[in-house]
Amino acid sequence: MPDEIILETRHLRREFGALVAVADVTMQVKARSLHSIIGPNGAGKTTFFNLLSGNIPPTGGQVLFKGQDITNLPLHRTAHLGIGRSFQITNIFPNLTVLENIRLACQALGKDNFRLFQSHRRFRQYEERAWVVAAQVGLQERALMPARTLPHGDQRKLELGMILAPDPELLLLDEPTAGMASEQVPELLALIQQIQAAGQKTVMLVEHNMNVVMSVSDRITVMHQGRVLAEGAPAEIAANETVQTAYLGGLYEISGQ
Amino acid sequence: MSAATNPYPPSRSGWLKNNAGWLALTLLLLALPFLAALLDGQTPANVLASETGNAKFMQGLLIEVFILAIYAISYDLILGVTGLLSFGHAMFFAVGAYATGIALKTMGWGLGQTLLAVIVASIVQALLFALVLPRVKGITFALVTLGLASVFSIVVRSSDLAAYTGADVGLQGVIVPALLNTNTARFRFYVIALLATVLVYLVYRRFVDSPTGRVCIAIRENENRALMLGYNTFTFKLVALLLSSAAAAFAGMLHALHQPIVSPNVASLGYTVAALLMILIGGVGTLSGALFGAAVFRLLEFFLDRWFGEIANSLLGLIYIGLVMFLPYGIVGTWRARSFQIKQGWDRLLRLLHLQHRAP
Repeated sequence: MPDEIILETRHLRREFGALVAVADVTMQVKARSLHSIIGPNGAGKTTFFNLLSGNIPPTGGQVLFKGQDITNLPLHRTAHLGIGRSFQITNIFPNLTVLENIRLACQALGKDNFRLFQSHRRFRQYEERAWVVAAQVGLQERALMPARTLPHGDQRKLELGMILAPDPELLLLDEPTAGMASEQVPELLALIQQIQAAGQKTVMLVEHNMNVVMSVSDRITVMHQGRVLAEGAPAEIAANETVQTAYLGGLYEISGQ
Repeated sequence: MSAATNPYPPSRSGWLKNNAGWLALTLLLLALPFLAALLDGQTPANVLASETGNAKFMQGLLIEVFILAIYAISYDLILGVTGLLSFGHAMFFAVGAYATGIALKTMGWGLGQTLLAVIVASIVQALLFALVLPRVKGITFALVTLGLASVFSIVVRSSDLAAYTGADVGLQGVIVPALLNTNTARFRFYVIALLATVLVYLVYRRFVDSPTGRVCIAIRENENRALMLGYNTFTFKLVALLLSSAAAAFAGMLHALHQPIVSPNVASLGYTVAALLMILIGGVGTLSGALFGAAVFRLLEFFLDRWFGEIANSLLGLIYIGLVMFLPYGIVGTWRARSFQIKQGWDRLLRLLHLQHRAP
């Protein structure tokens, strides 16, 4: 099934008072693709992501994950379906160790959450998995440090690790490179690409760094003022005149493609 | 993908070895009444017969410490571990005390039935707090719980219910069965209170180390992230509330049996503040800190009052200010933080020496 649709939105809409942050967005995401959403600040990218992951409820429309309506699912249920979400602002457990951060992510979908009076260390499978994931995102050396002591770039990696830990099918990454030193960005992107390819996963990426998006994406959706302006392969987007004038407008330099 | 294996397998060192300090402290506390009696010229038989003297008096004081310790640790579980800021914790304690008083005095029930009543009451009040849990967070939760506890405080003070609660005077002269009479069987009561404290501490410590407890800590750290990972955080907070309420109500029951008076003061905001103070002194979120905090709190209060009389309260205030200034993470918390620094410094030194050794 090469063209299987994993995620679909139908007329998804969100208003904040008079402001329409997301206006009737209908789009489809193919399974096992790397699909990016770009757009200028205030285009509604993050709000759109929040609607997808259930962090805020939409004022209209539907979100379908593998054909199932997940529009009004409680926040804690989405992870159980196989959706992992990262945030623009680093969102970790600051005073716990790197390993414990990842271990908690592994434990979440297991069946041992209500073993009240047994040590968590008896449930070895989560800990072993956490070490594997820590190595995967390159944090094995720092696994026993409190997460808050990590440099920002490593905290971004940790957050990626926490999303990867339960082995989700769909990863929603909201500006994973935000605030990272520019020399660290290619490393993280290579990691994301590798994870996506090796694990047969679908990755949705919000970015506003064009160069980042152009080189890694299979497909790009351009949002502008809450609407989808254009959608297509990176080359098509780069060549698209509406995108050029309405959004890029000379402010961004597109290289590569 | 590298097949990483865990470089830090769990240690298999014995439980007794790890807890030698606690075991020694428990044994010391068990022996203390006898030591005090010997110093006082009494015999161990006098202690067992609950004869008046320093030994008996000291046991009474320590029983109060134990009761406060259970109460404080139950607050630490929801505030320090789970991060639920409740300002209604006095109610958790007072419900246990009043349930005991009413069951024994007004209803004339036996100990078994009374214990059952306390358990039921503790579950009901935890569920009551849980009712507002999904709707309010942080400081709002604090205010709502303060409101709930105030309502309870007003109800027990109301003259309409005087037949049950004794209104403003409280329940005077709770009839305590001979088995647990603190006056005629003080050493037995002392041992029960001590063992109850040890038991609550061990159960709580194990809980905090369990998969469930780890999630409670995660909720304190970042509830939204815990939700996104797939944890239904409400359930975990409910479990913490139930465990906290059970221990606090049991402490209240011991209090009612020991005094044997139930004053409406135990339902007041001041009693919540006392719990807060105890865990601040000991170290928020450390569990064992609550035990030390309770000891410092009660013993300071007692001795300052004895030595300085009227100015004791002002002195207490000054000492608390000093404690917060110089031990910002409490006794246990500060000690843990410092011991880590010391260990780090030591490690650095060793590494340095190692490098010097390697240098040509």
